[in-house]
Amino acid sequence: MRGLRRGSARGLAPARVLGATLVGLVVAMAVLGPLLVEGSPTRQDLSAVLQPPSAEALLGRDHLGRSVLVRLVHAARLSVSLGAAAVAAAALPGILLGLLAAWAGGWTDRVLSGFGDAVLALPGLLLVLLVVALAPGAFWPLFIGLSLAMWVEWFRVTRAASAALLASPAVEAARLLGFGPWHVLRRHVLPEMMPLFGTLAAFGCAGAVLAVGALGFIGIGLRPPTAEWGLMMVELLPYYDEAPLAMLAPALCLFALVLGLQLLAGRDPR
Amino acid sequence: MTPALTIEDLHAHAGDAVLLRGVSLAVVPGVPLTILGETGSGKTLVAEAAMGTLAPELAASGRVALGGAVSEAGAPDARRGLWGRGIALLPQEPWLALDPTQRVLAQVAEGHRFIRGLAASEARARAREDLAALGLADAVRRYPHQLSGGMAQRVAVAAARAGGAPLLLADEPTKGLDADLRDAVVALLRGALEAGGALLCITHDIAVARALGGEIMVMLRGEVVERGPTAQVLGAPRHAYTRRLLAAEPQAWAERARPVPGAEVLSATGLAAERGGRRLFAGLDLAVGAGEWVAVTGPSGCGKTTLGNILLGLLQPVAGAVRRRGGLARTRYQKLYQDPVATFAPRLDLRTALAEAARLHAVPWAQVAAMLDRLRVADALLDRRPDQVSGGELQRIAIARALLPDPVFLFADEPTSRLDPITQQETMEVLRDVSAERGLAVLLVTHDQAMARKVAGRQLVLPGP
Amino acid sequence: MGGVARALLRRAVQAALVVILVSALCFTLVRILPGDQALRIAEGRYGYDRVTAAAADAVRAELGLDRPAIEQFAAWVGRLARGDLGASLVTGERVVAEVAYQLGHSLMLALAALAIALVIGPILGLFAGLRPGGVVDQAGMVGAAALRAMPVFALGIGLMLVFGVALGWLPVAGFHEAENIILPALALGLGLAAASARVARDATVAVTSAPFFRFALLRGLTRAQAVWQHVPRNAAVPVLAYLGVQLALLVEGVVVVESLFGWPGIGHALSHAIAARDVPMLQGTALSLGLIFVALNAATDLAMIALDPRRR
Repeated sequence: MRGLRRGSARGLAPARVLGATLVGLVVAMAVLGPLLVEGSPTRQDLSAVLQPPSAEALLGRDHLGRSVLVRLVHAARLSVSLGAAAVAAAALPGILLGLLAAWAGGWTDRVLSGFGDAVLALPGLLLVLLVVALAPGAFWPLFIGLSLAMWVEWFRVTRAASAALLASPAVEAARLLGFGPWHVLRRHVLPEMMPLFGTLAAFGCAGAVLAVGALGFIGIGLRPPTAEWGLMMVELLPYYDEAPLAMLAPALCLFALVLGLQLLAGRDPR
Repeated sequence: MTPALTIEDLHAHAGDAVLLRGVSLAVVPGVPLTILGETGSGKTLVAEAAMGTLAPELAASGRVALGGAVSEAGAPDARRGLWGRGIALLPQEPWLALDPTQRVLAQVAEGHRFIRGLAASEARARAREDLAALGLADAVRRYPHQLSGGMAQRVAVAAARAGGAPLLLADEPTKGLDADLRDAVVALLRGALEAGGALLCITHDIAVARALGGEIMVMLRGEVVERGPTAQVLGAPRHAYTRRLLAAEPQAWAERARPVPGAEVLSATGLAAERGGRRLFAGLDLAVGAGEWVAVTGPSGCGKTTLGNILLGLLQPVAGAVRRRGGLARTRYQKLYQDPVATFAPRLDLRTALAEAARLHAVPWAQVAAMLDRLRVADALLDRRPDQVSGGELQRIAIARALLPDPVFLFADEPTSRLDPITQQETMEVLRDVSAERGLAVLLVTHDQAMARKVAGRQLVLPGP
Repeated sequence: MGGVARALLRRAVQAALVVILVSALCFTLVRILPGDQALRIAEGRYGYDRVTAAAADAVRAELGLDRPAIEQFAAWVGRLARGDLGASLVTGERVVAEVAYQLGHSLMLALAALAIALVIGPILGLFAGLRPGGVVDQAGMVGAAALRAMPVFALGIGLMLVFGVALGWLPVAGFHEAENIILPALALGLGLAAASARVARDATVAVTSAPFFRFALLRGLTRAQAVWQHVPRNAAVPVLAYLGVQLALLVEGVVVVESLFGWPGIGHALSHAIAARDVPMLQGTALSLGLIFVALNAATDLAMIALDPRRR
């Protein structure tokens, strides 16, 4: 009789709690880390190259004698803030234009949607790469490229969800009662979309953090000596035998942050 | 004659709540048995007990005799082997019960192939015969989304019976179907009886019970309150509840004086509308006076709702014009919906929703409270969310909300079609009272001819495609 | 218009957009990058040491680099339309020839990764979804969540270190033998497999709780018969729909994995072209990757139409 009962809805709560914990840990590391761990992420000490963990450098030193822990927490700050900033920069125009397209309909909607489709014609990272090619290694092209690739997701999801809500009997009834746009937005549209926005933000942040790491790793993201997880991994790849921890640590941090964000997000909204 | 199905002394409870209390029945071949009851009467639980699909968290007792074997009502899987062979269930809303990616023929052939064990080609030939017998010879290669509701119903019957079960169990066979299709469903069910089959039909619709004939059982709160030959029970009911149920049928409603139309509140001339490029109606003229009831009827898809929405200004007509009485705000023209849950913000408590609308129209709360009292809405209900109150209660709250702008015209779009008969009658009574007190004109869209005749001063029949 | 024609038309428009977007961005790039364009192109043609100011002027005149931007762009697109992608500024080779060589390698890698994803993911998802909450479900979905969160390059390094270095089973680099493709294809395909396992699992749960599945059981089919008759096709539709979304990740992964494993494909060439500011190569490789993306999307569309009659 198993087949006749509805598939048991597995509780998402434990996964969410784990996700929030992981994200909380990495964010705490990004915010508090640089305050708690003394030292500069770029200060070299060529007499202590690939040193194993010690009291001064809890996670050892890299191939240029820099403290891995110091670099790790600065890289966390970089990834978390870049991810959050890219999400904010993508969410704001995406939500506003999505609401506008759904609300206005007609030509406004067609033009905006056509623009969105054009951006989506290319896989996101390809667009980022083309923008990054303007100035490889710089921060701004990376940030702009990521936001440019990501806003469409916000636009499309917002547009689709709010168009469905605006066409609902609840909104029709509210309009017949004489309620204005602000009330419709506040009572009928935004409350229903908040969970969706949360999911999009978490997925978007995870995607941005991964992209920054991947670009650093293939040598066209941020440039050395910046402390960035992808860059740290590729720099230490030749020394995996002598300093495995130094190479593993950034991978683990990136993994923890992305896993946490994905667990927090729940299901992919696309 | 040996009964095809016997249920003896069926009890079920979930925690402290008693859901079924000593239900017994026997279904004999050739004589349909109908179980009539409202939502929550336990009639569907009886069907589930017959199949052996009662939820395991229900504590059930009683015996079920089916296909020559007797088993415990609550025993899981006890009758699993008889599905399709001894008992066939006709699903509710059959268009959802067909695999959307498979052709009709294959879905019917499955029964012949897997349950009767025929070879694939022979199974298909038999399925073709089954479908042809139901007038579906042309539809064998179609997919479910290419079928009308009535056709899907017939395919589901063919698929359910392909395994050769002598007993057909129909749970709310008219759910989601237009009243126009009710007769066709009844004919379909009666057809199943002709070859010596047996039929157990579960419904809330008295018209279905009456048309099927045979025997009837009336259920209320888990108990059978009355049983006997259908003609006798419906003709001379003994139990108070059965009488109440029959009195709730629109044709039995008390006659009231039809309101005399007052000053014109709305008029339309030369209206035409289209949907998907297809003309729905054209050259339609209509004037509605204060306090008047106009019923709009017609087959499904004929544009009844479209007409109402055009009158409210929610849709633009292809041709023609709508004139509201001069000087009246648009909010004096309101609408009631078929599914009131969808018309409230889902996460907002009803008190806030009403209070905001009252504030918008400068209606003091005392006046709202008086209206709610008048509509017999308990104050405590307002602290719930829309999906936490019953359909009848929420529809009355929706009426209260629609009255806040002091409307002169109300478009009521099948406002009671999802309600149980007694609740339907109560809701319509309330609406008629309010309309009479305030001179509120009502445009009522309905499938129910009897209700249209009973309440409306005038009927508008749209021809349909 | 039928579903097939509609889908193909939509993808044709997308392909046109890819060409316009990439060429416009690359054209902008050429104009923004510092230094004398003509000189750089001449260097690409004749070599650093043999280039002269006269050669640069000849290039300038030939390509019309002294004319207004809009005319130059028209000429740029015109050359593109004739299939002339120019020559690499680094190697001096024709871009078309280079890309044609790399395309085969990239397609092979992408298809191998897709094959891995479509064999492992849906089958695991189907078994997980048939017993929601069971052992396969819980273990499989924890594994899938972890794989999805793993950066492609970290997964690639892990595979290299475990199977290549520690166990010595598979080569970590090179591209001449068939076994060379296994590690890059796994690095690329495992993440996709994890995502499609998750979708297949949810789709299976949805199908087995759908009214039509219940009706199949109530008609007397055994559970195995009902699953075989009704689950795979219905569950495949959402898996394919999600695969369309995932294709973007596949193309992105190609860039990273090829660079990591030294696989001589388009992605590898693209990251080199960006680092070297080799715009003709950048344009050629970005166009090819974009068009592979469109082609795979079109294939997904057609597969979905074949499976789901409602889309026809």
